Amino acid sequence: MPETASAAAAGTAGDDRRISGVPIRLEGVTKRYPGQDRPAVDDVDLEIAAGETVMFVGPSGCGKTTLLKMLNRLIEPTSGRIHLGDEDVTDQDADQLRRRIGYVIQAGGLFPHMTVATNVGMVPRMLRWDKQRTAARIDELLELVGLDPAVYRDRYPRELSGGQQQRVGVARALAADPPVLLMDEPFGAVDPVTRQRLQDELLRIQEELGKTIVFVTHDFDEAVKLGDRIVVFDVGARVVQYDTPERILAEPAEDYVADFVGAGATLKQLTLTRVGDVDLVQVTTAVAGSPSAEAVAAAQAAGDDFVVVLDSRGRPISWPTVAELTRTTTVPHTVDERLPVVGLRSTLNDALDTMLAASQGGVVVTGRRDGLAGVMAVETVMAAIQRSRTETAG
Amino acid sequence: MWEYVTERADLITFQAVQHVSLVVQCVLLGSLIGVALAVLVYRNPTATALANGVSAVGLTIPAFALLGILLAPFGFGITPAVIAVTFYAALPVLRNAVVGLAGVDRATVESARGIGMTRAAALLRVELPLAWPVILAGIRVATQMVMGIAAIAAYVLGPGLGGFIFSGLSRLGGANALNSALTGTIAIVLLALVLDLLLVLVGRLTTPRGIRA
Amino acid sequence: MTAAPEVRAGGAPEPAPAEETARHADPSAAGGGGWRALLLQPALVVLGVAAFLVWRLTADLSDTEARQLGWGVLGDSIREHLALTVVAAVIVLLIAVPLGIALTRRPLRRLSPLVVGIANTGQAAPAIGLFVLLATWLGFGFGTTVVALVVYAALPVLRNTMVGIQGVDERLVEAGRGMGMSALAVLLRVELPLAVPVLLAGVRTALVLLVGTATLATFIDGGGLGVLINTGITLSLDSLLISGAVLVALLALAVDWLGRVVEHVARPKGL
Repeated sequence: MPETASAAAAGTAGDDRRISGVPIRLEGVTKRYPGQDRPAVDDVDLEIAAGETVMFVGPSGCGKTTLLKMLNRLIEPTSGRIHLGDEDVTDQDADQLRRRIGYVIQAGGLFPHMTVATNVGMVPRMLRWDKQRTAARIDELLELVGLDPAVYRDRYPRELSGGQQQRVGVARALAADPPVLLMDEPFGAVDPVTRQRLQDELLRIQEELGKTIVFVTHDFDEAVKLGDRIVVFDVGARVVQYDTPERILAEPAEDYVADFVGAGATLKQLTLTRVGDVDLVQVTTAVAGSPSAEAVAAAQAAGDDFVVVLDSRGRPISWPTVAELTRTTTVPHTVDERLPVVGLRSTLNDALDTMLAASQGGVVVTGRRDGLAGVMAVETVMAAIQRSRTETAG
Repeated sequence: MWEYVTERADLITFQAVQHVSLVVQCVLLGSLIGVALAVLVYRNPTATALANGVSAVGLTIPAFALLGILLAPFGFGITPAVIAVTFYAALPVLRNAVVGLAGVDRATVESARGIGMTRAAALLRVELPLAWPVILAGIRVATQMVMGIAAIAAYVLGPGLGGFIFSGLSRLGGANALNSALTGTIAIVLLALVLDLLLVLVGRLTTPRGIRA
Repeated sequence: MTAAPEVRAGGAPEPAPAEETARHADPSAAGGGGWRALLLQPALVVLGVAAFLVWRLTADLSDTEARQLGWGVLGDSIREHLALTVVAAVIVLLIAVPLGIALTRRPLRRLSPLVVGIANTGQAAPAIGLFVLLATWLGFGFGTTVVALVVYAALPVLRNTMVGIQGVDERLVEAGRGMGMSALAVLLRVELPLAVPVLLAGVRTALVLLVGTATLATFIDGGGLGVLINTGITLSLDSLLISGAVLVALLALAVDWLGRVVEHVARPKGL
């Protein structure tokens, strides 16, 4: 199963999934600002494999964002070479280069005076795609990021929530199907629940597309969750450690990394374990609108005290108790806004957060196309914590 | 030019004092009127819209036109000058005072009432101090603006430095016409800048420390 | 820029308006309610014009008054006044908008505080002084008047062009560049459209300022409705004086209203 494929084994990451990204190679990339003694980015060598998500983390001012912006030459390097795939792009026309690199910033950076469709269609238009192709691509991308094109195509950014704006930002960056996606703290401005959803979405999209993603964040949990690899930077963009999340947590290269990773390293294991990696409970389900009596009978037969209600497309919408269901004749269509839901790619950490936020002892887990994958109980998370504590102690 | 100025230093000083005194008094009066009107209207949306309309429309009326209209009932002299200058001074203050008072956080006002302040006390001790920087900004705009309008008022025989400009105009081509106009214009610019600096200083001294930028 | 439905004072993006607010005619607070406010103003103008026409047709006028207030003379005065305003406005736009844009571009950006400082100081100069000084240099007439008007009205447009462009979120510019738009494309498709509301507020301020200041043209033989006022004052004919003043005020209100309508229509959707 792709969900369980270990990102640790570098070569295997792409074995069972499509890769549309290209490798990135930096050679001695340096940025000096006039009037500053120390270079902001000092002689960085870095190789990023095709189709991998690499997270840049480090204290603010360490040069990680500067390094990211040199990849699409929003900041021109003082010296050094940058290769995309087999090409040396250091001296290419910057505008042409950027049209081949997706770029996502905080809050999406959407143009407020243009509709969602115009925003997403910006790069295709600059590349002179014909109208039909652009329109089709816009709809395809909005579908990809989970927005119904018919509803959102003609809206203006201010009519969207923060999370939706960020989705459109991702769609816009992917418009011309660039092999590389640069993301500069994209989810920094949204609330935790939305952030977790967006992270799950990104994981899903990345699984489908296999881009090479370079992602700057200050949130180490986010780095562990999203990254195939993490680069930990110190001042001057010195690469302190470049490794998989597992190994950075298990064997921090220097005290500096250990400090940065923080004392919560035990609990960070919660971030490493995906919901899809643990055993989910299969529960009684019922389709909204079907007779309640059948659902109640099925639940009682299985010994469940609640039923997960699915809509016509198999997506969970609520989880009433058997007692609540017996009071109805048909299974209600009501969508429970507070239903705690996580995806298979969510971490146990996310699942725990979601449970706490909803004050529930479990979460509903969804898989492909938001269909039900099972239910996870808080005990599962507890067991995982217990396990990792014994491991650390031993 | 220098000779012209030194020879007439007394007259220039006198007219400068007249000019500034006209402007300062009218701005003070206009500010009082503007703030008082704002206090009356800012809680009522309709009245607020009306006040905003009045200040916007009032400011579109050309100064020379208003002076002309005032000339009919009041005749030449200081009365039309004072009325016109006060009118233009009050409008920006009114507008800014409405914006400033409306911008005070309702929760702050409610908590003031909550600890037992009367309406008037809350207004005087909470709302007006918080709105003060915006009001003062309006006073600065008003002052700069009426310095120029006061110059036109000289045409209807109001006092001040405008007299030098008009006497330059009437003797155009003759000796000292340029000197006269230059003296009036430059003196007004300089005094406007000095007054603006003073108002900035007033702002520094009177803005509550907690909301200083 | 906030999504506030109304143009803020002088187009300055914050309600700490006056710092950056244009003086004189102020484009602030278009009143409370969008179109409702937009309808009130022309009603006022129409009412004013109607009142003037009724008075003109019924008043008992002396020969001099009747001559000065003849339809032909009135028409000419209004035409002259509008010509001064429009010619000066076009020149102001041609100079101030490109200059304002240029001063926000990287090579010239450092000069912008200097230019704004000089312009602000210049704005403290009384209009009448400017007219007279320019007349001693360039002589009397239409041309000199236009020059004086341009000098006087350029500032609000210049300043609002700069404030408008500077008010565009830096990250939007970066997003544009980041997706491969050229600097020119970002200017034309992102910065200028987003600066339009503020820029137009500056243009309206300038127009109203021009209508008002053009009354002073009479002092240097530039024509316009100021002549009526001035003649009224010198001949002590209140009817002339008030006619001129009322007509100028109505003209200013009408121009201001036109400006507001244009602002309303040209405001980019989505803001």
